[in-house]
Amino acid sequence: MSLIRVDGLSKSYAGTVAVRGVELELRAGEIHALCGHNGAGKSTVVRLLSGQESPDAGSIAVDGVPVELKTRRDAQTAGVALVDQELSVVPSLTVAENLLLGDRDAGWLNRRRAQHRRARRMLDDLGLTHVRPEQRLSTLGLGERQLVEIARALGQRARLVILDEPTATLTDVESEHVYAAVRSVAAAGCAVLFVSHRLGEVLALCDRVTVLRDGAVVTTSDADALTVPALIRHMLGESPASAPRTRAESGETVLELTSVSVPGRFGDLSLRVRAGTIYAIAGQLGSGASDVLRGLAGLHPALAGQVTVGGARLRTADPVAAARAGIAFASNDRKSEGLFLDRSTGVNLLVTRIPALSRFGLVGARRWKETASRLGERCGFPANQLARPVGRLSGGNQQKAFVGRALDRSGTRVLLLDDPTRGVDVGGRAAVHGLVRNAAAQGVAVVFSSTELDELVDLADVVVTMYQGRTVARHDEAVPGDVLLHEMTHGTEPG
Amino acid sequence: MSRFARPEVLVPGVALGATLLVFAALPLRTGQLLTPFDAYNALQVLARLGPLILALGLTMIAGEFDLSVVGTYAFGGMLAVTYGQDHWALGLLLALAAGVAVGVLQGVVVARFRISSMPVTLATYITLLGLTSSLSGGLSKTFDNADVTLWVDRPVLQVFSPRSLLALVVFLVLALVLAGSRWGREIRAIGGDRRASRVSGVRDDRLLVGLFATSGLLAAGGGALLNFSLGSANPDPGVQPLILAAVAALLGGVSLAGGRGSVLGLLAGALTIAFLAQVVTVAALPTYVSQLFYALLLAGVVAVDAPGLRRGVLRLRKVRR
Amino acid sequence: MSAVTAERRIVRPRRTDVLPVAALLVLLAVGASTPRFLSLDNVKAILTSASLIGIAGLGLTLIVIGGTSVSLAISQSVAVSAMVFLAVQSAGLVVALVVTIVTGALITGLQGLVVGYGEANPIVLTIAAGFALTGLATGVGGGTSVSPTGTGYTVLNATPGGLPLSVFTLVLLTVAVQAVLDRSVFGRLLYLTGENRPAARAAGLPVGRVVTVAWVLAGALFAIAAAFSGAFNTSANINLGGTLTFDAIAAVLAGGTPIAGGKGSARRTLAGVLLIATVSDILLLRGYSTGAQIMVKGLIVLAVILVVHLRTTRGRP
Repeated sequence: MSLIRVDGLSKSYAGTVAVRGVELELRAGEIHALCGHNGAGKSTVVRLLSGQESPDAGSIAVDGVPVELKTRRDAQTAGVALVDQELSVVPSLTVAENLLLGDRDAGWLNRRRAQHRRARRMLDDLGLTHVRPEQRLSTLGLGERQLVEIARALGQRARLVILDEPTATLTDVESEHVYAAVRSVAAAGCAVLFVSHRLGEVLALCDRVTVLRDGAVVTTSDADALTVPALIRHMLGESPASAPRTRAESGETVLELTSVSVPGRFGDLSLRVRAGTIYAIAGQLGSGASDVLRGLAGLHPALAGQVTVGGARLRTADPVAAARAGIAFASNDRKSEGLFLDRSTGVNLLVTRIPALSRFGLVGARRWKETASRLGERCGFPANQLARPVGRLSGGNQQKAFVGRALDRSGTRVLLLDDPTRGVDVGGRAAVHGLVRNAAAQGVAVVFSSTELDELVDLADVVVTMYQGRTVARHDEAVPGDVLLHEMTHGTEPG
Repeated sequence: MSRFARPEVLVPGVALGATLLVFAALPLRTGQLLTPFDAYNALQVLARLGPLILALGLTMIAGEFDLSVVGTYAFGGMLAVTYGQDHWALGLLLALAAGVAVGVLQGVVVARFRISSMPVTLATYITLLGLTSSLSGGLSKTFDNADVTLWVDRPVLQVFSPRSLLALVVFLVLALVLAGSRWGREIRAIGGDRRASRVSGVRDDRLLVGLFATSGLLAAGGGALLNFSLGSANPDPGVQPLILAAVAALLGGVSLAGGRGSVLGLLAGALTIAFLAQVVTVAALPTYVSQLFYALLLAGVVAVDAPGLRRGVLRLRKVRR
Repeated sequence: MSAVTAERRIVRPRRTDVLPVAALLVLLAVGASTPRFLSLDNVKAILTSASLIGIAGLGLTLIVIGGTSVSLAISQSVAVSAMVFLAVQSAGLVVALVVTIVTGALITGLQGLVVGYGEANPIVLTIAAGFALTGLATGVGGGTSVSPTGTGYTVLNATPGGLPLSVFTLVLLTVAVQAVLDRSVFGRLLYLTGENRPAARAAGLPVGRVVTVAWVLAGALFAIAAAFSGAFNTSANINLGGTLTFDAIAAVLAGGTPIAGGKGSARRTLAGVLLIATVSDILLLRGYSTGAQIMVKGLIVLAVILVVHLRTTRGRP
């Protein structure tokens, strides 16, 4: 019995087709997975179904009745609850208040007792027994906040619950709680649309799977009939040829970490980083991998321990000092902490070398232009793209500009890349990897964090795995992906 | 973090506590005991600024900054005096209606275009000042209904007046409504994180329009009552009322970044300003002392809220350890 | 987006482009049909009234572009600087000017230090600074007006070629500030910092220093406005600034510089000042009241804000 029917759904943004002709049928009581590689159109489908965008064409019907979902509120009235990909809870409110936010059944009056009782039940269902309803959300960790958002969606007595990457920031134990809660909601007759990158999880949890590629549905089939490799084939189509790997010789030590820690994030890390070598810090969100890079870039005020660059001690917790010492950092949040979206690609490539392009505090217009076009060429941007605002480029091109600003710069000794291919399509990924290899070949030491096995196996010379703030293992030799995955998700070496 | 270390409790607690202590210590300087009249005067200041503080403070909690309140204040006051010469109620109603209209207009613009409210309300403020001035030909206008003027400031129970009582009632009613309904939660939510609230299903657009309408209503009503009390309408009250209202809201624990604060906090901030004014008057201190005191209190607010200063402190602590 | 649509955008003017042009034409037409508008005397009047607001507005432009909102203490900074200017006249004009500019730069620069390195909220901080300045000025000076201790200041009241010196200064400073914004390292960094401060921080740009320098320069410009204002009024107290704070903000906004930062220019601020002054002048010549002039000023600011906002957000998903 189909609860939700989606027919011929299409949507374009500024001329770029995001999804076209998507057909989807969600049955009451089923857990339906939506899979696809980055940029396949999963998020757009979620936005259309949850009332955050209106489709250009196509229809959505609930119980056979066509509905128009113009706002989140419309969607909620139609019975659609959502856990957004981005964490969507308000830190300044209490846990109980967050659980009530946007709930149509909550009523106008606050009945604190009843609300707290209900909150207690919702929290217990997701294993948050230690969290009190009257606690501020800002006192919780990121994983716990995510669980609160999931609890809110599951508790809204919806017909359809959409979960967009709900477990990305959760530990295994936390994820298990989510699976159990999702199963019980589905058992009560609710349809669940589950969007996830974790394919093992998808096959274990879901009843049916729909795969998107390039904005269109490739297949919908029973999860039992699929395997992880089959799913990957559907997602990728022709798998892209990976560039041949050239191992660079280890050069002299440029960066040395001695007992470095950030309280609450990661502890006691020591590492020597050599020129011309690519290091990966492999760890899921919350493992501390990202915090190591942020700490080195001077963005963690509480960083303790000793860091030396080129033999000189680095003044920690000071991004300007880090940059001056030759550390270039590319955040994983390209939009809000990375690029200057309204500025041109050219300007974004030059951001970190403005003083170098100037004399007596004045910028030389010709040198500025020449450098921009030279770098643009180096990073593979056509000349006409250089003048366009970087915010209008695709994710892959944006990332190229982001990485490119640290290249060909005499001062750059260490390049820190936090999840360098997040939200980047396959082609862009290869290009970014090419740039990184190139930088290493020129003698720059590269440290990147990632959770993607292909990337770790493919790009890194040395892989350090982290789990819940501690180092699990270090691999100087080639290492198979399943070993890395085991270390990243269990915190022990396999065997 | 303990309940009292939170800025929305700490800031108004310290500000009001310090002010009341100084107020209570006044006899040490003047050699005379405090009289109910001192409290009456302080509450009259509350009556004058209270509605403005609420009007500005509520929008601040929602992450907006409604500079137009002082324009609406002047405009409403002028309308009330101009059309209330014979029937004060008519003037008051007109003022309130105009306030709501201005508020709704601004709310629609801010919510519809998702535009920052500060520049928009600054433009409205200037426009309203011009409108008010045109209404009176640029001159002050006297209010000839002396009965009303006497009545609104008549002492009640020695320390109150109908005006200050009304201000207090409005504070308490709004405090109850916002603490007891979903509105309070949702206003703080859209102030704390607009996007997350929207994704959660909070109708931020309607809420904003409602808020700006309320803000306009309060400001216009406050202006009308003030002018009834003064017996005249001034086309340009200057920016001082606006600045004082902002100070009161900030001292009430409201953050300019939004998402933080309560109506009771706003009341505490309003009382701080009111009693401070009375302290200065009774102790016959030069006004610059109160200005320096405001500067000091606000410096505290700045320090509590500045992320860079907090980072610096964290680094210092680390070094010492 | 394809190259085709990009090209079409260039050829076909946008609706939001038409609006300012049409407004300008209407303005000129109304001006031309207004008696005495095109006379030289009238142009002078417009420029003079605009010059002080304009100079202060240039300073504010730097603060706004840097993404640090606005200063609400412009009036007080100008008043205190003017008091200093008149008080040190006995040392001669040049020394007085230098002392005034240094004082102004210090006053506002100190606030910039807290905003830049401490990331304090500029609105709250400048309200506090306004109180502190008023309090200190009245406390130290006893609340009386400062009278000039020499006569050097009269040079600033000169009218070479029939135009007041302040007008030349405004034009000169607009060119200078524009050059700094366009050509200097500081200018480039200021735009970047204003557009996205977290990104600038993460890129290792000296965010704190850039913001501080912007505020120091703003303070120096406020001080120059103060010197002219003090010379013109020949006495100064803390109320000298009057409504300058909001006038300057209105001028910057009317020029189309968005308050969010990262965009804007000195030219735009000059245009904003001239626009407001011209319209006020037309209304004055046509016999409208002061109230109507103020009202139209507010409406102009509102219209520009909306047009600029619609232009920048157009075509975004």
